[in-house]
Amino acid sequence: MASAQESSLSTNSRDRSSIRNFFFSNEFGLLFLILVFATIFALLTTGFTSRFNLYALGRNISIDVVIGFSMMVVIVTGGLNLSVGSIGVSAVMFGGWLIEGMGSNLPIALILLLLGGGLLGAVNGVMVVRTGVHSFIITLATMSVYFGLMIWLTQAEAFRNLPPEVATFGRTKIYGYLSPLLLISLGVAIMLAVLYRYTSLGRNMLAAGANPTAAELSGVNVKRTFILCHALSGLLAALAATMLTCRTGAAIPSMTGHIGQDWLLPAFLAPVLGGTLLSGGKVSVLGTFFGAVLVSLLTNGLLLLQVSEFWVQAVLGALLLSAVLLEKLRNVVLLQNRFI
Amino acid sequence: MTQENVFQEFGRKSFRTLKNCLLGTTLACLTASPVLASDTRVALVPGGPHPYFAAWEKAGQDAKRDFGLSGADYRVPQKWELSQQNQLLESLLTQGYNGFLIFPGDPVGTNSIASELTAEGTPVIALAGCLKQPTPAVFCLGTDTGNSAYLGTKELIKTLGGKGKIAHFTGFLVDPNTQLRIDAVQKAANETGGAVEVIQVIADIDAPEPAEEKINAFLAAQADKVDGIVTTAWVPAVVAANSLRKIGDKRIKMVGIDHDEVVLKAIKDGYVHGTMLQNPYGQGYIGSFAMNKLRSGCKVNQNAPFKSTALTNQFIDSGTAFVGRDKVDTYIGAMEAVTKDLMASFESTYLVCN
Amino acid sequence: MPLQKLLKAEWSGLLLVVTLAIILIGYLKPSFLTPFNIQILLAAISVNMVIALAQMLIVGIGQMNLSVGAIGGLVAISFAGLMDVFQLPIPLAVLVGLLIGLAAGLFNGVIIAFTGISAFIITLASLSVFKGINLGITEAQPFYGVAESVKSFGNSSFIGTLPLLILPALLALIGVWFLLNRMRFGRHVLAVGASPTAAGLVGISVRNIVIGTHALSGLLAAVAGMMVVARLQIGQPTIGDDWLILSFAAPVIGGAVLAGGHVNVIGTLLGVTTIAIITQALVLFEIDPFIVQIFLGLLILWAVGINRLRDLRLTLFSKPA
Repeated sequence: MASAQESSLSTNSRDRSSIRNFFFSNEFGLLFLILVFATIFALLTTGFTSRFNLYALGRNISIDVVIGFSMMVVIVTGGLNLSVGSIGVSAVMFGGWLIEGMGSNLPIALILLLLGGGLLGAVNGVMVVRTGVHSFIITLATMSVYFGLMIWLTQAEAFRNLPPEVATFGRTKIYGYLSPLLLISLGVAIMLAVLYRYTSLGRNMLAAGANPTAAELSGVNVKRTFILCHALSGLLAALAATMLTCRTGAAIPSMTGHIGQDWLLPAFLAPVLGGTLLSGGKVSVLGTFFGAVLVSLLTNGLLLLQVSEFWVQAVLGALLLSAVLLEKLRNVVLLQNRFI
Repeated sequence: MTQENVFQEFGRKSFRTLKNCLLGTTLACLTASPVLASDTRVALVPGGPHPYFAAWEKAGQDAKRDFGLSGADYRVPQKWELSQQNQLLESLLTQGYNGFLIFPGDPVGTNSIASELTAEGTPVIALAGCLKQPTPAVFCLGTDTGNSAYLGTKELIKTLGGKGKIAHFTGFLVDPNTQLRIDAVQKAANETGGAVEVIQVIADIDAPEPAEEKINAFLAAQADKVDGIVTTAWVPAVVAANSLRKIGDKRIKMVGIDHDEVVLKAIKDGYVHGTMLQNPYGQGYIGSFAMNKLRSGCKVNQNAPFKSTALTNQFIDSGTAFVGRDKVDTYIGAMEAVTKDLMASFESTYLVCN
Repeated sequence: MPLQKLLKAEWSGLLLVVTLAIILIGYLKPSFLTPFNIQILLAAISVNMVIALAQMLIVGIGQMNLSVGAIGGLVAISFAGLMDVFQLPIPLAVLVGLLIGLAAGLFNGVIIAFTGISAFIITLASLSVFKGINLGITEAQPFYGVAESVKSFGNSSFIGTLPLLILPALLALIGVWFLLNRMRFGRHVLAVGASPTAAGLVGISVRNIVIGTHALSGLLAAVAGMMVVARLQIGQPTIGDDWLILSFAAPVIGGAVLAGGHVNVIGTLLGVTTIAIITQALVLFEIDPFIVQIFLGLLILWAVGINRLRDLRLTLFSKPA
């Protein structure tokens, strides 16, 4: 444990000075890829630029972005949260029960389910800082526990009689192109950017993630900060699941897959492509946003290119692997050039 | 394509139709509809990869040929996941498909995308599973799963001589059909007035590994106490058939479901009493036919003799049949007969065309 | 003396729990100890053991392999497909299966070792690639034409109730134990896991160890995939989908430290056994199937707690070196 921490710290401090210099180019690289692929798809497929497709693409992006953020805010601590999918579905099932079982109205249920998600995240955080066990194991266990409890309590029954506003909201089109869900994720992105750049809480999160010992010495309550990061992760997971519920109009136990594992890939891809360091301490809100856009765009384009549905995953995996490798290569080249 | 080719193509098509009529291998000749190129492009979209739906592909190809559709393609979401299915449906709409035959990933959750599809002017038919009303789907064409489970259990009880203890293995608990099946098996048992008892229901095993583990554990514990097994989902049927073969027990009678090779072979070899066939081919074939009609001006006959289920009152039964050892070699013919029956009167019964 | 040694072993507590559980369940439900049930239990343990070993080795070097299940699934369908479509003789099909697993593991290992990118990320991406190839080949349909002798291998038993499937599992178990405890390569694996920097300083080629361990992990995943084909009698494309939690849970319950450098083969075996017994007991006692999931999670937390206590005890009572 200690040694892993040490080695990650050393790479971290080395990377930070260099990556900060190329801070702009990381996001720029993603934006470039997005534009290239968008152009290719627009030229090669019919319908990519159609009103409906752009609308649907935007809506898919919006959910993936928030899923990516829910992982990003924990990666900041140098940890991760495998239970995002479980927390998300548990939270909306809780919300569904509040509405259908308790007769609560929509805004109250919404607030309570977001808080519920935050609470489940906080439980993860408390266990991580109290035991000192790596968050991978803790959240591996809780993804099973949360999902199991949810399934047991609901007996796998979906909540299908939600107020019609929920589904209507998910189908709303602004100017025919834009889903209000995309505005929500833009709002979240702005709030997170402000948090990390302009608030002391956000800066503490980054400092604690980069070097817990140093942060502790300079007066940051590292444990409490980490718990807050996990709570924020739970809250964002609950928000993403709520947006998904708007999309389907029902709270369904299987909506994030078995034990919520269908969210793992989008949750990690967006921050990692966006340049968030797995060792913690560095975060790129814009990069995560672009990362989610790129993944959704590729999926959408591959489907439109009529790549057989069954090969989409393989192609997507290969593209992502190359993206990660290219990014690494670029960093290496940039580093070398700097030293020459 | 030159004009000549078009004519040749048309000639070939009609010739094939004629030939099919003579051989009686397909049902095209029954419909009396001329084979003219139509702009209908149907997508047959299951909830995810599952062997049950494989027959839809052939059904779509046959329907395309027989009714001159411009397409009837079987497109599968790569995972059994609602958002994957939604994303695929969005993409298919963008790709220009204009009629959707959908197995709903969720009876309510899929309504949302279905209403978006219909808002773009493409009709939706729920296939093999129903959407909960109110729904934009014009009707639901599928197996009456409750009835199939009921009939299967009746067959099992008959071969058990009207008494005994039975177990029920079924599929995903999140599938709304599962509860219907559990209730139907119980109902058939209750009708014996206590002579037949359902001693255990094992659910949520529509994936091979957990099914293997749980069914074997059950047989290990209860094999000497149980007299019969009814399975109402594809994977449990396959796994249970294999397990019975493994322990070599022909005392326990089993009624399975669907037409997996493993189950059919176990019936031949006497390890399984029989299976309840469903009619996925007929669903795909008749569904494509109906979709084409709907797009060319036909409307649904609101006074048609629709059945009612827990989800919808616009349900059309695509048929079910029990196949035992005597009919196992000719089951395809049996299902074709069911499809033929339904097809013969489909247009006049369920549609109003000008 | 051997008793003392036994008590000292870190898995002695787990062994006690497992023994008590078997006695208790056997007393309450006599059918639990019938030969047929023991055979089923052992078959489940055998397969899961190989899966857990595939992950345990990677945990040993302080990394993770999220693609264990995807490799297992890809090998499973290739193995079945080669027999079904190409009628390949079984030994050849097994060989190709092993080679695919080895290649997949090498693929992971080489990329991780040469780029230094976190194994988590690489195996997450390669999971997608392997699973995607699986789906692309099978279109999600199973291969049925599994050779009869493979099927009977998965079904048969010897010396009474021992399933034949136990043989490859035993082979893997002994092999990995020998590797880690008696061979230089194994010691180097644990050294790299404990501290890559220190291992590099004493002249161990960290790069080669990482590549070699991932190759072995792929090989074991391949063995597990083919064992599942023998057990299920079909080449189902979903094989491997739910290995992830199990593959981590068993080594961790058995005392593995996730940061690397410390794994325990016997402990992992007991971890696998614990999970198998719980799964069976829940069916035997007709407990709500939904609770299985909660149990598994709590079990991991419990194991983590126990390990934590042991660490504390060790630091408190161990003599200063």
